[in-house]
Amino acid sequence: MTTTYLAPTITREEDGRPASPVPAPKEVDVRPGPALLNGIEHGPSLAAHRAQYGPIPHLDSKQLHALVKRVQMRGRGGAAFPFAIKLETVLKGSRPILVVNMSEGELASAKDHALALTRPHLVLDGVVATAKALRSRKVHVVLPGERPAAAAAMKRAIAERRDGVNIYTTTAASRFVAGQAKAVVELLSGRPNLPATSWAPEAVKGLKGRPTLLSNGETWARVGLLVLRGAEEYMSIGTPEEPGATLLTMNMPGSVPIVFEAAYGDRLRDYIPQDRHGLPAMVGGFHGAWATWETLASARVSVNKMRAMGNALGAGLVLSSPECPVTLTARTVEYLAGQSAQRCGPCFNGLPALAKEVTAVHDGHGGLERIEQLANLVVRRGACAHPDGTVRLVNSMLSTFAHEVEAHAKGGCTLKHGSRKLVGDSFNRILEVA
Amino acid sequence: MTAEILGLDGPVMWYLNRSTGVVTIVLLTITTVLGVLAIGGRPAGRLPRFVTQAFHRNVALLAMLLLTAHLVTAVLDEFVEIKWYEAFVPFVGSFEPLWVGFGAIAVDLMIIVILTSLFRTRMKHNLWRGIHITAYAMWALAISHGIAIGTDMTESLYVLTVVCAISVPLAAIYRLGRLVFDRTSTSSTTTPGGLK
Amino acid sequence: MAQVLRVDWPSCEARGLCHEVLPELVDLDEWGYPIVKGPVTKELMDHAKEAVKVCPRLALRIVEGR
Repeated sequence: MTTTYLAPTITREEDGRPASPVPAPKEVDVRPGPALLNGIEHGPSLAAHRAQYGPIPHLDSKQLHALVKRVQMRGRGGAAFPFAIKLETVLKGSRPILVVNMSEGELASAKDHALALTRPHLVLDGVVATAKALRSRKVHVVLPGERPAAAAAMKRAIAERRDGVNIYTTTAASRFVAGQAKAVVELLSGRPNLPATSWAPEAVKGLKGRPTLLSNGETWARVGLLVLRGAEEYMSIGTPEEPGATLLTMNMPGSVPIVFEAAYGDRLRDYIPQDRHGLPAMVGGFHGAWATWETLASARVSVNKMRAMGNALGAGLVLSSPECPVTLTARTVEYLAGQSAQRCGPCFNGLPALAKEVTAVHDGHGGLERIEQLANLVVRRGACAHPDGTVRLVNSMLSTFAHEVEAHAKGGCTLKHGSRKLVGDSFNRILEVA
Repeated sequence: MTAEILGLDGPVMWYLNRSTGVVTIVLLTITTVLGVLAIGGRPAGRLPRFVTQAFHRNVALLAMLLLTAHLVTAVLDEFVEIKWYEAFVPFVGSFEPLWVGFGAIAVDLMIIVILTSLFRTRMKHNLWRGIHITAYAMWALAISHGIAIGTDMTESLYVLTVVCAISVPLAAIYRLGRLVFDRTSTSSTTTPGGLK
Repeated sequence: MAQVLRVDWPSCEARGLCHEVLPELVDLDEWGYPIVKGPVTKELMDHAKEAVKVCPRLALRIVEGR
């Protein structure tokens, strides 16, 4: 059997930048769930939402803080930042502004997309209740630039409401980094939707120098659910250390993403579709880390437990890879390099160089020392964590698939999934494996 | 009496005025050339960049000093009537209002440029930069003032002024050439190619 | 919390004056951008302030941090 080996063909967008290995989804398969996704079969209208949940109870800031602290609500970034601390920081200042970040620049993830289509009023109830508790009348909703259906659904939902709070919508740019917190604040300030140096956290000094409480759609939806149903019900699922449930996106290149709601502590494999069992996956997104099937099979939906495994739950994305992880990583890094905002020297110089080296590793003549050198040069040397996340992905590929990397160095590819042959794959060429 | 002692009606003030004028033009030209060469950040020859920057600064301040002497002698000199305010307000005098006026505008610009540079770290960088660019206009006005008003240009003074006049455009062409060369050479990409 | 030299990366244009003035704390990478090697000690504080002032892009600041 022959082993033919070709460099990954990079498809390009109109502007010449490499395309994302997973394009923006045109549709999302949303499954009913125990908490946030409970009752989605009734539709996304305000009437259905009120029929299910009733009116928003009125809370003051103390009560709200007590609630989010009790359920240990954490954000959906890699750091899983405690929402209670963010709230406390904002409360220290005056005249806060609230921002719902639904831009979801990570194209393979679809959790906020799912909420926009099925539960927009949970998101809006969350931010409106908080606005009233903080006596703020200014709420900004940042809509995704690459998911028109989701953006339209949010706008429809906003139009239905009469809260006495002003909700302004802005559409994010179509880029990976557009959803970064400071980039969002820049966008709302009338400047290009790109990261800039942040001298203080947004919660201290954000939009217009005011304390800015910025979170993604799912976090606001969880606040909404918490306010509408109370802490007891919220904590009735999940674990004592991690109460509640979270949204997961199961994706694979070429498939429609599926969004599930999983209680914390559930087995991750219970949500991975059968046809992907046995495949490794990128967990957390393009800035996440690779996991072998063995790891996935034993993983729990848990921020702490995943961290203990050397991975991160992050936005809850599990991107299964039917093709060689080395190949997918090379394509992803090329894409990420092209998504640099072009503002910070180490990034716009370092990421393309890194992409070149990773492609070289894939082709069998790569320098691992050079990759390490570049990794050290780009990490923590930029206005945002785009280069850091890219390096995380590369390093996880190198450590998790050292075996495959070696095979590539010898001019082959192992593709551990039995004797599966990839024919006419997404690269428009044929790859046969020994 | 004082006027006679100081020789204000004699040729001394006039010569002082013209000589300080010429030296000011030379210093301003050096300052501007150093400024042009500093654009884009490649070091000038073997000198470290911060030395070139310090040079630029000190020559500018020296030019300011010479300029002050030039203004004082112009006003004190009684051969030609120039009121003190004509150093700052253009076109209001009786003697060569246009060319003296050019000089006055150059003085105003210089004051603003130098003041903003002394407080550079306390202001928005883009504002400082916008004001600093008017230094080119200031230099051009000063040169024109010198050429037009230098009534008894000797051969050598003429050559000197021409050398000053062409050295700034030459420096600019050289600098642009280097920038283009650096951009197209494959070694390093210190400037961004795309969005900024 | 120590005093550190922080770079405003979007403003930095790899001019290199900070390295000339403060080589003890600032190296340059292969593209000319500053690598800050450690916190600003008491002895180096004056030089660090000079580096902040000398940057033609005002891309350096001394802040509290790690």
